Amino acid sequence: MTSLPASPSATMGRRRFLQLGSLAAAAPLILPARLRGAAAPSNLIHVAIIGTGNIAEGHLTTLLGYPERGRIVAVCDVDRDRRDRAAARVDAAYGAKGCASVNDFREVTRRADVDAVWVCTPDHWHALIALDAVRHGKDAYVEKPLTLTIEEGRALISAARQHGRIVQHGTQHRSMKRFFDAAGYVRSGGLGKLERIEVAIPPNNRFIGASWEPEAVPEELDWDLWLGPAPGRPYHSSGCHYNFRFISDYANGQVSNWGAHYLDIGQWALDMDASGPIAVEGHGHFPTSGLFTCATHVDFTCHYANGIPMSCRTRQEGGGTVRFIGERGWIDIARNAMSASSNDLLREMQRPGKSVTLARSDNHHENFLDCIRSRALPVADVEIGHRTTTVCNLGQIAMTLGRKLRWDPVTESFPEDPVANRLLGRAARSPWSVV
Amino acid sequence: MVGAEAGPNVDPWTEVVRLEYGGDGSFAAILREQVARTPAAGLGRLEAQLLRALAAPDLTEAGRDFLCSQLALVGSAAAVPALAALLANAESADAARLALERIPGPEADAALLAGLATLTGRARTGLVGSIGARRSAGARDALARLAADPAEDAELRAIAARSLALLRPATVGTAP
Repeated sequence: MTSLPASPSATMGRRRFLQLGSLAAAAPLILPARLRGAAAPSNLIHVAIIGTGNIAEGHLTTLLGYPERGRIVAVCDVDRDRRDRAAARVDAAYGAKGCASVNDFREVTRRADVDAVWVCTPDHWHALIALDAVRHGKDAYVEKPLTLTIEEGRALISAARQHGRIVQHGTQHRSMKRFFDAAGYVRSGGLGKLERIEVAIPPNNRFIGASWEPEAVPEELDWDLWLGPAPGRPYHSSGCHYNFRFISDYANGQVSNWGAHYLDIGQWALDMDASGPIAVEGHGHFPTSGLFTCATHVDFTCHYANGIPMSCRTRQEGGGTVRFIGERGWIDIARNAMSASSNDLLREMQRPGKSVTLARSDNHHENFLDCIRSRALPVADVEIGHRTTTVCNLGQIAMTLGRKLRWDPVTESFPEDPVANRLLGRAARSPWSVV
Repeated sequence: MVGAEAGPNVDPWTEVVRLEYGGDGSFAAILREQVARTPAAGLGRLEAQLLRALAAPDLTEAGRDFLCSQLALVGSAAAVPALAALLANAESADAARLALERIPGPEADAALLAGLATLTGRARTGLVGSIGARRSAGARDALARLAADPAEDAELRAIAARSLALLRPATVGTAP
């Protein structure tokens, strides 16, 4: 069974449509055997949650609200306390014992009764777990950022296409009306000629001193498996759960935390879901000592072939937003607020009937579950997620090197900078591998 | 423990050798900045400094890992012998691969393949991942042997098989 979503095929550029069409034809998106045909043992999509910390809480709440569509059959975490709490929550919600609670994700990806996984681990694990899942016939919802490196993202796309798996990137703004309206409005020329896009991200919300003492690993934590492909280092409680996002061995700070959401909407409005900028420049303030190594102040700008720049900057007050500035004024869209240079622009933005109609989803989880059944590409397909994650990584690389870099979005390389090219991937700690 | 601020009289190349996990990282930060900002013409000299530091007798584990992470960015064939020596030891093999996997050229390819003669267990599986990640046609025979060898670890064999699939098909007349 091979299909493409009706609305994306009708609205995405011809090049992108042909690209996806040819991929789908070469590697059909295969329905899991467990769900096939009238004799299927269950109409429910069986789900496993891998990583049960902060980010998984919301996913658990949402999925437990769909008992008729999806059932959580397993949870996995290298922290025994966390995974057991999550399993108990699942069992309590279903009123029955039976949710498996496991330490090693490979116990989940090899289960015959799992159709799809939610990858909610720290960022340095996203690619390897998602790769293992699709290689074992599972569809995957992967939290943002899709991967830690650009090379990992391309590897994940290849594996997803090769194995015919659905991969949804956890950029749920794609399934929120205001962002859908904004991207469609900008792309339809609602602001007149678009001049620039400005993304604002919040500052780091955790701090630690210039030095730290290694600590004993808690008895409930499998620290070796937590580290996984990341370079080895001694344990410290401030460098593990949640705070991993401020350490560059595991994440890219707020760029890939909040930035991934808002840069994604910029990419959408620019019709860059299968491409990206052609240059990037920027500077960051990096801590000079201590456990945290990601930039505490971010300032980078991506330049696109159409001449439009998209910047990403830390602001001390307020959360993330994406602001589109055009010849008719500006609109500023955040998760919980929106504003504009005039109310007329906001009213126009929310009206239907734009000249460009984008892929529509009103619920990111439901879109993924729908696509598991229909085998259509989801609204934040893996290629889209990769291109957005690439923008995050380009900013990170430009800030690290402190120079303007030319980027080729076709070859996914820096044509003039061999040092920058070495930052496209990283060697994994033994025994892990992105291959 | 709070280390001294890097001042004008302190040589970061000396201090970074004694880097400890959790200790003052400001010397490493100075060198990281140098590595990132040095123009192409100066990279050879910088690489030589990194290699001198890597050879220091009082080099710590954290210092070694930091220096290898920087050689991943600017290392060349000149760095391969020192890294190959680290690769031969399971304790330092991951640090060596951190650099070797990213250094272009046949010297790094050869060093990684040579590591197969000594490394065992999880270090060997990681090594095969690095060999595969480089997609070097010269690794085809070794990868084919590993993929087919029932004595090898199952995950290692799977990585070798996937690595082979990433290589372009052999041209007529070359070994399978």
